[in-house]
Amino acid sequence: MKCRNPLGGCALYALLSLAVGQGRADVVAVVSSTSAVTTLSKDQVTDIFLGKVSRFPNGTQAIPIDQADGSPTRDEFYATYTGKSPAQVKSHWAKIIFTGRGEPPKAAATNAAARQLIAANPQAIGYLERNAVDSSVKILVQP
Amino acid sequence: MQCRITPSRPWHASHELNAIILIAMLWYPAAAGAAAEDAGASMFSVSAFGTLGVVHSSEDNADFTASSEQPNGAGYSHSWSPDVDSRLGAQATAHFTPQLSAMLQVISEQLYDKTFRPHIEWANITYQPTPEFSVRLGRIVLPTFLISDSRKVGYANPWVRPPVELYSLSPVFDSDGADVDYQMQVGKLVNTLVGTYGNTRFGTPGGGELDAKRLWVIADTVEYGPLTLHIAYQQSSYTFHFLDPLFDAFRQLGPQGTALADKYDLDNKSAQLITAGAMYDPGKWFVTGEWAKRNMHSAIVESTAWYLSGGYRLAKFTPYMTYAKVKADGNTSDPGLNVSELPPFLAGPANGLNAGLNATLGMTAVQNTISVGSRWDFMKNTDLKLQYDHIDLGSGSAGTLVNVQPGFQPGGTVNLFSIAIDFVW
Repeated sequence: MKCRNPLGGCALYALLSLAVGQGRADVVAVVSSTSAVTTLSKDQVTDIFLGKVSRFPNGTQAIPIDQADGSPTRDEFYATYTGKSPAQVKSHWAKIIFTGRGEPPKAAATNAAARQLIAANPQAIGYLERNAVDSSVKILVQP
Repeated sequence: MQCRITPSRPWHASHELNAIILIAMLWYPAAAGAAAEDAGASMFSVSAFGTLGVVHSSEDNADFTASSEQPNGAGYSHSWSPDVDSRLGAQATAHFTPQLSAMLQVISEQLYDKTFRPHIEWANITYQPTPEFSVRLGRIVLPTFLISDSRKVGYANPWVRPPVELYSLSPVFDSDGADVDYQMQVGKLVNTLVGTYGNTRFGTPGGGELDAKRLWVIADTVEYGPLTLHIAYQQSSYTFHFLDPLFDAFRQLGPQGTALADKYDLDNKSAQLITAGAMYDPGKWFVTGEWAKRNMHSAIVESTAWYLSGGYRLAKFTPYMTYAKVKADGNTSDPGLNVSELPPFLAGPANGLNAGLNATLGMTAVQNTISVGSRWDFMKNTDLKLQYDHIDLGSGSAGTLVNVQPGFQPGGTVNLFSIAIDFVW
């Protein structure tokens, strides 16, 4: 958010975000606006991102897009959806990688880069900070 | 008897090559790391893992080892042993097409011959026509136990090492052959069925090679949210010539000697291992347990082992507690040859052979361990673990301890203190 009036708008925004999310980013799971998928539960999103399942419930292949390792958006997503810390997620993938059973999702460097990748691929699924969402992607509804 | 085995493979002619591969993999990080962060697909990926750990044992007259593959451990060989838990692994994966990939994993760790020369842990080609179905050809670590294929990746596990009671039950951990993997999803439930078939042969710390043929495993894993259930059955025909001199001598002593040799020798015998395990990990805490039974139809006595472990996550700390137990189901002694049925001049040799047989059967591990420890995720991709183990040896048993010295008192207790740093990248 760009602040034209740093003394007014920004302070108000900071206060609001503190009040709404205790300072944490609000992260939402999204797919391309061209995707046929509209509804996905938290558990279904979790299973895709932890590599437990590789398809959407409608049978099409799901391609998860992560965000940069260590980014607040990523940490918030995994904490909210999987209940796992960054170390737990890393530990989970170590088990899979070093037994040749798969590789973690590819990671995009920023919210904007993630949005672009998700928007371009109807099979992609990702997560964005709510304020990074635009019409190229749609927020998944939780049933 | 604990079966002491390790991977010295048919490919051991290329140990120098393995070392070069390991070093090359470790010094190829920047490009691969950058590629992994980029969403653009790269055909190759390289990763590595390792553990630096030391263990101290209160028992000076025997060695504690983490697996039956290790010749040296903590106690007799070293007061503080780096050989028990330390290792370095590097892996390269190539994705030729979305369906076809290959992996190579090289590990440097203490081998049966006391060297740390790198060996090939995994090397296979995977064909995966659909996300649910795959076939692998090459060297595969068997999925027999809940975490047998990831047991060497310290960072992936909550403890310093998997409980030795259960994870030392079978010496056979991998196979050169093929496996087939089929995944099925029913609602939230994901079922993965794996079947493997192959052979393996490897050198052992006590000398000689163990040869396992027609080695197959069928394993089924059910995942339902935070719950994982795993069952498996492993079967092989194995030969281990280490005890041949003893049984050859028995065969010199007529029909009763031959009968005993046939019962206890390790020549083309069948081995079965059956396992069941579960893990529940909702994030904030975990509880896991496993049970396994082995039957090797030889001087390696039928045994059962199990463990139960739980931990709680407090920010970056995960304190845990484990109870593990191994017991003998078969007899750990045998009356042996009936000396009165033999000519008097054979009484001396016959008593000697009976003593040899009973010493072998008496090596069966009987013990239980209470472990308490904590994992501390103090740095990105790195953890530090401290663990205290209190081992209670079964009456007359040296448990899983090896290199037992003359001053050793069986059936006592042993305290271990371990520190380990695990990393992945």
